[in-house]
Amino acid sequence: MIQSPITIYDLSLNVRVSWQAHSLSNVGTNGSNKLMPRRQLLANRTETDACSGNIAKHHHAVLLAEYLEAARVPLCSACSQRDARRAAALTERPEYKEQTLEEILRMCGLCDAHGFLVTAKRARAKENQETEGNREDEETDRHRRSKHTLVDFSFALALPDRHAETSQLYTRVGDTKEEGQMLMKMPSRSGDYARHIRYFSVGVGVDTDKWQVIVHDAEKRRARHIAILSALRDSLLSPDGAMTATMLPHLTGLQGAVVVRTTVGRAPMYSALCDDFVAQLQGLAGPTCLVYPFEGITSFNALMNALITSSSPCYPASYQPHDQAAGVNTQNEG
Amino acid sequence: MTQHGRTIWLSADYHLPATYSCRLPFSSATSAQVAPAPGPASVRLALIRTGIELYGRERVRNDLFPWIRTVPVLIRPPASVALSSHLLHGYKIDEKQENHPFGESLLLREMAHAEGELTIYLEVPSSEEAIWSQMLMTIGYWGQTNSFATCLRIRQEAPQPQECVMPLQAAIQPIALSSFFSCILSEFRDSSVSWEEIDPFAPLGRTSSLKFDIYVWPLRMTKQHGAGKMLVRTPLQA
Repeated sequence: MIQSPITIYDLSLNVRVSWQAHSLSNVGTNGSNKLMPRRQLLANRTETDACSGNIAKHHHAVLLAEYLEAARVPLCSACSQRDARRAAALTERPEYKEQTLEEILRMCGLCDAHGFLVTAKRARAKENQETEGNREDEETDRHRRSKHTLVDFSFALALPDRHAETSQLYTRVGDTKEEGQMLMKMPSRSGDYARHIRYFSVGVGVDTDKWQVIVHDAEKRRARHIAILSALRDSLLSPDGAMTATMLPHLTGLQGAVVVRTTVGRAPMYSALCDDFVAQLQGLAGPTCLVYPFEGITSFNALMNALITSSSPCYPASYQPHDQAAGVNTQNEG
Repeated sequence: MTQHGRTIWLSADYHLPATYSCRLPFSSATSAQVAPAPGPASVRLALIRTGIELYGRERVRNDLFPWIRTVPVLIRPPASVALSSHLLHGYKIDEKQENHPFGESLLLREMAHAEGELTIYLEVPSSEEAIWSQMLMTIGYWGQTNSFATCLRIRQEAPQPQECVMPLQAAIQPIALSSFFSCILSEFRDSSVSWEEIDPFAPLGRTSSLKFDIYVWPLRMTKQHGAGKMLVRTPLQA
């Protein structure tokens, strides 16, 4: 267990999670009355059950917004309304047109953590200038502004010999009385799933394209970091996704390893489809690569709580503390 | 990094722990086909990205970029790769309508799963081995950021070209190519590509820094499973 305060540059969660009777991620109905589960062909020629990482990432973002609000970390107006486009949702509003990346990262903890992309766009007036000559519509070029996400989720892949599916028959009422009653088949799946999550902790409050620190204040960065770790803990201990209103999964097991890289470099990951994945990760451990195995939800919860209490995000390798003096006024940082 | 001199081949082995997705050039984001491993331009761009993270933008632009754009790159795919097509639900804003309503649409994206390691070979100046090794070691994904990769080891080792992806026009020996997986990949246009051409923050309207070619992978298709494909590494030889 964690004995003393540590800094985290990069963190990976390598887990086997057991869900019973779930339908967390599906392909859709394909025009029929049968909901199709998601399937992935594996390189060992077997086809297995899968859950997309997209829905897990959305779930984390929703949890994170709540933690950030509770910690008084500011959110932009799009994230306050849980608009998944984040800062990109604001680009067409006049008051946000000139907003810089620095302002976005200071003023929104969720845009900072989950990233966004505002694409570059040539001004309409310039495109039409020669043909229409309409000067009233003059605009300026829209410059690209983006932040990479700091939290990435893999697909959850069921262990090929440890998953099962039951097709359940449901009745539902159509949109109108004339449509009457419909029969629907929905899958209920159970199994042990391999999932990997990366949290790129050094990127908190940082423009990761130019590697410039925007939020310099260590306590403000740590507040965001604690919220991200808390939401990660909850997203594994309280699974969410599709169909959970009526098919909330039974969580029956959680094992694996949390890997922390304390200085520059990547926290390794090893496929949890392999039975020896924890041993493989332990073989990669070193002074700056800490591997924390866990068995069960209690041990995972204790480990994550220890990280929340005792860790803080690293600064980038090229960061010099005097950058702060030459940079921005920290009073305005979110 | 201004001195030339002796060069060495470095090989970096990557474990791909989960599904991954390296989209093909010209393949739409809403209907994305993927390559079984990253192409040459993706490797160079990944080196630039990790170089900036490790050494800063100025040093990469001034010292490392002239090398990154020219060093020979060879890519050996994993021993076997399975490709599956996934339907995803996407939301798109209609900017032409008032209040910008959301529309829902289906997206198609292939995802790959691999067994065995992906190996990247670079021919670099021997005096700069430590810098290149650190950049290779720090690469944590290929393609999308959730296409995780872990660098397991780096050593001095020359590639076996017949086990690496090659442009179709370089496959000069008589090989029955029909069963090998081929696709379009991107590579830097030439050794004169400038920093401004690959910089996403440069002014709009820059010229294309990439060229596109058909490449042949040393992977034979052994199984078609619905919309899935199973590819097994086989040397490109007659």
